[in-house]
Amino acid sequence: MMAAVLSIDHLQKRFGKFEALKDITFSIEPGEVFGFIGPNGAGKSTTIRTLLGILRPTGGQATIFGLDAWRDAVSIHKRIAYVPGDVNLWPNLSGGEVIDFLLRLNGQTHTPRTDELIKQFDLDATKKARTYSKGNRQKVALIAAFSSRADLYIFDEPTSGLDPLMEEVFQQQVLALKAAGKSVLLSSHILSEVERMCDRIAIIRQGEIIEVGTLAEMRQLSRSTVRAATQQPLAAIQALPAVHQFEAKTPTQAVFSVDAEAIGDVVAALSRLGITQLTTTPPTLEDLFLRYYNQEGGSHD
Amino acid sequence: MTNRYANTWALVRLNLRHDWLKIALWIAGLAGLMASAAAKFEGIYGSQHAMASIAKTLKTPAMVSLLGPFTAKPPYTTAVIYGAEMMVFMGLFAAMMNVFFAVHATRDEEDTGTSELILAHAVGRQSPLLAAIIELIVINGGAGVLEAVGLQAANMPGANAAGSWLFGLGLGVFGFMFGTFALLFAQVASSARTATILSYAWLGVLFVARMGTDVKDPDLTWWTIFGWIEKMALYTANVWTPVLMMAGLSVIVLAMTVSVAALRDIGAGLVEPRSGRQTGSALLRGPLMLLARLERMSTTIWLIGLFLLGASYGSIFGTVGDLVKTNPMMAKLLGSSGVNAANRAVVMGLANTLVVIFAVVAVVPAISTLLRLNSDERKSYLELLHAAPVSRLRLFLSFAAHALAVGTAALALGVLGMAVAGNAAMSTPISVARFMRGFVGYWPALLIVCGAAAVLAALLPRLQAVIWIVPVYGVLSMFLGPMLDFPKWAQRLTPFGWVNKVPQHAVAWGPFAWMTGLGVVLFVVAYLGYRRRDLTMN
Repeated sequence: MMAAVLSIDHLQKRFGKFEALKDITFSIEPGEVFGFIGPNGAGKSTTIRTLLGILRPTGGQATIFGLDAWRDAVSIHKRIAYVPGDVNLWPNLSGGEVIDFLLRLNGQTHTPRTDELIKQFDLDATKKARTYSKGNRQKVALIAAFSSRADLYIFDEPTSGLDPLMEEVFQQQVLALKAAGKSVLLSSHILSEVERMCDRIAIIRQGEIIEVGTLAEMRQLSRSTVRAATQQPLAAIQALPAVHQFEAKTPTQAVFSVDAEAIGDVVAALSRLGITQLTTTPPTLEDLFLRYYNQEGGSHD
Repeated sequence: MTNRYANTWALVRLNLRHDWLKIALWIAGLAGLMASAAAKFEGIYGSQHAMASIAKTLKTPAMVSLLGPFTAKPPYTTAVIYGAEMMVFMGLFAAMMNVFFAVHATRDEEDTGTSELILAHAVGRQSPLLAAIIELIVINGGAGVLEAVGLQAANMPGANAAGSWLFGLGLGVFGFMFGTFALLFAQVASSARTATILSYAWLGVLFVARMGTDVKDPDLTWWTIFGWIEKMALYTANVWTPVLMMAGLSVIVLAMTVSVAALRDIGAGLVEPRSGRQTGSALLRGPLMLLARLERMSTTIWLIGLFLLGASYGSIFGTVGDLVKTNPMMAKLLGSSGVNAANRAVVMGLANTLVVIFAVVAVVPAISTLLRLNSDERKSYLELLHAAPVSRLRLFLSFAAHALAVGTAALALGVLGMAVAGNAAMSTPISVARFMRGFVGYWPALLIVCGAAAVLAALLPRLQAVIWIVPVYGVLSMFLGPMLDFPKWAQRLTPFGWVNKVPQHAVAWGPFAWMTGLGVVLFVVAYLGYRRRDLTMN
């Protein structure tokens, strides 16, 4: 197996008394698109800034390409492209100037691909950054990132200011990177985006990683929603240990959730009652997310 | 009418609550300076003899160019001398205070987006402007009254209530007039930065114009606007005409400001920003060139400005260095070679004072570049740079190099402008190389001030603005030092006081070496601090 592109081991960061990162551990394999999700203030941007060597870790270790994120920042940065969530540009430079400047910083040049990206993202590159909206400033950083050849792309909520059309362009570009075997770290709030593109996902809460895995694995750990109608009354199903949140519409119709590993047993029990209708829905990322963040539900049950 | 100015008073209260500390510091600084100078004047200029001797100094073109003409007739009183000499530079500070608050209350708020938030409420479109005007009236009114009361309390011999109130209120109205200029520029410019630059350029032009007319023909000073402040004949005739003129001009400028403001959109200037380049110039690579590009406009203004400042001072060398004109007996006593030597000594003495001015002024653009290291980071402009393969050393060196290059060039051009214009005006020229001793001598002082700014920026980023005390104190000690008889240690508080008298003497290489060494050490310390710390400060 090839060495991980990025690996974080028990990373910690405190600002004064505030522990922004308590315990962050995950790694990204070559060619993988890795989703990083969590609510506002959970530590996503702090993790990314530590990876970029902007912040100095208080404990633990972060390495990219096998190099230390703080000490070897410059060597690492030669091979990465980054788009921050809040893109702020020097107000008196035009978008075109910023793009070229950023490319040259990484020893690269303005290529036909850059022009193509400018066209795809529909950016007027001659305008001064002062006059750009949030979305347009993000496009500038995205164009610079996508048109540079890097081994690892880091996106910190890159689409928060983009319209749906541009979001689609962004997703196509990321999928193109994936097809080309590049690694991507994508922090996002837009769960459909993560669901569509990411191979694996880490969920962070209050400075701690609470789950890492593929979407399928996470679904395994979670519950599916079942809607069933039977010929005989199905109240007895409620007593099964794998069944939760049972809600009967009529004596022979109900909606409930079932632990993923017990779905077969439950369906078998239902079939003994004579199934007339049955749908099972696997949990969406949103369900997972809400479940992990639901304070009452807890996260480790 | 009511709609356009709805809720103005609420905004005025909000502004005053935000700014009260800054306002209090400025007013206390100005009034305190005036009152303490008045108290000091009493001690130094108590006797007719002392007053006659300072009057002689004050009549020299060098002092006239700095402080305005000395027109009072003997017998002098302490108050008359005070009134004649304090006005011009108090006016300079009052104008600076007003530019700051005028831009702060209008353009700054628009740039940060605060105006947008406020205008979305039941607030008239022109309310922020009207609120700014009212804030300026409150500030200048408060400053004027406090200054007048301070002068009354100091109770210098020869002072009277009429003169003290004219001084205080005249200064207030003068400050307000510059506030209105800044408000007008704030409508025309498309950012707070440009508005401030335009306001200071205008202030500089008027100040240099009055300097020229004061030396050549004080009557012409009436045309320079800035010079009105010299025409009040304080503690003698107490003329209110200039105050009325300032008030009148303020009203006219305000009328223009209001009509210009009606023409533009919030957040935009009157002048539409031009669109930029489709691609970056081939030169735009690396952080140093980026800084050069970002600072292109202000660097140009500073360099040309310093050269013109030097040249305008140099142009009075012909008058200054002609002692025979003021004292015909000298030619007979000294002979022509003796007169030449004496003329030369006078010019060189003035050149020393001027080089200090240039050094203090040249430090300003250098400091502001160094402080960008943090302010750009706080605005997160640098986040994309941090993610690029640019080491902290390279980033730090780029800012330091740009700051030093601009500071050095500004100082050199100031001295050069003075030398070139001076030689054009004098009958017996002095070699440019001789004048350049001034540049070489004061350069290490510039280096140390920049190094100190870098240390603050790296280790105490929150307190970095403290470094501005150095140039402000430099200006103060320059103007007040000779008049108030500053003790030696007070002149040595800044590195500008550590340099020997150049260009009339040769550069002292010992101090040059250790001062340069100290400057380098400061930069190294700053880098070591910068390398270790977290970058984002929020």
